[in-house]
Amino acid sequence: MFANFRLAMAWLHTWFGLVLGFVLMVVFFFGALSVFDREIDRWGIPASRFEPQPMPSFDKVLKPVFESMQPTQESIDRMRPRVDGPMPERYDTVRRWGAYTTHRDPVLGVFAGYEVPNAKDPDEAIFASRTIDPRTGAALPDDRLKIGSRFFYPLHYSLNFHWLDLGYWIVGLAALVMLAALVSGVVMHRKIFREFFTFRPRKSTQRSALDLHNLTGVVALPFHFFFAFTGLVIFAGLYFPVTHTQLHPLHELHEQHEEQETGLPQDRAGVPAPLASVDAMVAEAQRRWASRGMAGEVGFLALQHVGDANGYVSIYRAGTDRIALTGEGIHFKASTGEVLHEDPPPTAVASVAEFLTGLHLQHFRHWLLRWLYVLGGLAGCVCIATGLVFFVEKRKRQHAKQGSSGARVADAMAVTTVTGMLVATLGMLIANRLLPENLPNRGDWEQYCFWGAWLLAMAHAFWRTAPVAEGRLAPAWREQCWAVAAMAVAAVLLNWLTTGDHLLRTLAAGYWPVAGVDLFMLVSAALAAYAARRLGRRVRGAADARAMVAEAARA
Amino acid sequence: MSTRVLDPSRQHIVLRVAAALLGGYAFAWGFIALGTSALFAAGMPFHDAEFLSSMLGILAYLAVFLWVFAVPGLRRAGAVLVGAGAAMAGLASLLQHTLV
Repeated sequence: MFANFRLAMAWLHTWFGLVLGFVLMVVFFFGALSVFDREIDRWGIPASRFEPQPMPSFDKVLKPVFESMQPTQESIDRMRPRVDGPMPERYDTVRRWGAYTTHRDPVLGVFAGYEVPNAKDPDEAIFASRTIDPRTGAALPDDRLKIGSRFFYPLHYSLNFHWLDLGYWIVGLAALVMLAALVSGVVMHRKIFREFFTFRPRKSTQRSALDLHNLTGVVALPFHFFFAFTGLVIFAGLYFPVTHTQLHPLHELHEQHEEQETGLPQDRAGVPAPLASVDAMVAEAQRRWASRGMAGEVGFLALQHVGDANGYVSIYRAGTDRIALTGEGIHFKASTGEVLHEDPPPTAVASVAEFLTGLHLQHFRHWLLRWLYVLGGLAGCVCIATGLVFFVEKRKRQHAKQGSSGARVADAMAVTTVTGMLVATLGMLIANRLLPENLPNRGDWEQYCFWGAWLLAMAHAFWRTAPVAEGRLAPAWREQCWAVAAMAVAAVLLNWLTTGDHLLRTLAAGYWPVAGVDLFMLVSAALAAYAARRLGRRVRGAADARAMVAEAARA
Repeated sequence: MSTRVLDPSRQHIVLRVAAALLGGYAFAWGFIALGTSALFAAGMPFHDAEFLSSMLGILAYLAVFLWVFAVPGLRRAGAVLVGAGAAMAGLASLLQHTLV
């Protein structure tokens, strides 16, 4: 198909980059925001603006919470088609109770999984979840959406498009294409080292866009490769469910071996049994960690087969000071509190796995590294956005001559995914502050506002890119930059008006989750206003040049 | 839009993209299946074998994906990928049969 390898790679880079660049933009941007997902949660749920808490007492706080939980009507309805016969009134056979927390969580998320009688897949469980104030056990309202960790974060890896898991597959394809674009990009450009230092902002838009594309691509090349690759590795089980399909028998065999080795039962015994003090087990686990010279807090607490003689309690250490999310698991017999098994030190392969996934998901405490992640993610956004701009700039004059609308459509899509995405994000944060406090399904309304704002931005982008068809710059870019600047300032002001938490107060109190989100939005507003002014100057410059040419022609 | 028949070059592009994506997927699946079962048979812990094969399988997918765009013969490339993927998956099932 192509004369040589370099041309093949250039074709691949251009066309796959264009088609999946729009998806990659979303993945990179919301990935960058997800680094501070819990901080965005605090901004969006003022009732949760307090200091992070350790895992609370199980016996006093968590047990009554777990015992009062039941799946929501929604998850029962979702489960219904996968069950033969009617759904039960109550779910009492608990397969698993779990609670996970990090050094950044003031509120605690807990979940419970229950056996479903007559489920078509007997291994499938139905889940219930709740968010509580760990100081009291009081539940947060169910319809309070955690914008950071439950909307922006899943948007990063699933586009929040769950039909047939299609969102995951699109993001997976985009990650593969990102890797291919990085390799093909390196092949296309021989002078990789020189591109490290080349940026000519005063040349034509086409030239400086390409410079910036190469610069941000090359400077952060290891970052981009690492994140696209580890993202695929994290979801490898979803993309290649080999051990749950073709090699399922082998998986079963392994689980039987594991049960024999660890003494942790896979199934219930069917004999009821009481629950010993879990707090005592936590104390014992912490004593054992301390004796290994790695005293720490509990990150993940899970109870398996609750109420059964085969029940056991697994306690994992929070990975606050290491790359692994959680580790050093110690497992106790639920009815007696005796230690059944201690996880052995990880094997070499398991250490690599912990390193790769832990470094992507970064739940450890290292604020400088977190900010580098954000910068890396935003560098990725700049790389993709300038790639799209370069695509348009290179073709728009030729397309204008041929009367083709290709460049215009590509530019409208670029506006939609670059500035339009910011409009949608800020629109959601503004809605979060403006919607009535007791509005039913408030979280759903916030999501409608997000998608609605994005649709409006898209309509505006298609309308105001008309000049591209004549080979000129689209006003949509400048206008949406002004919208972003105004909306970001509005969001900060609304936070002040509705909660009283203005920057002077949050900064004085050192409450960085909210101060940080506000400051980030103000910096974004300044950058957007600067970009809008520069774009305005460029349009006026081009108009003056055309007027001068016309003048000269008349003279 | 007219229901114009794809011209040969466009049709060729569609076929090549399909070969890269689907052929590459079949190859990676076979690679992961064979890697998992072979490493497990060789004594590696199950989840280690699964993780290592998946990680290398993803890199293999990237390599063959790029390769499909670089080779001249499209039909041969597609046949090689699907054939090798099926052969590796078959071997994996065979290994599993002897183990379970």
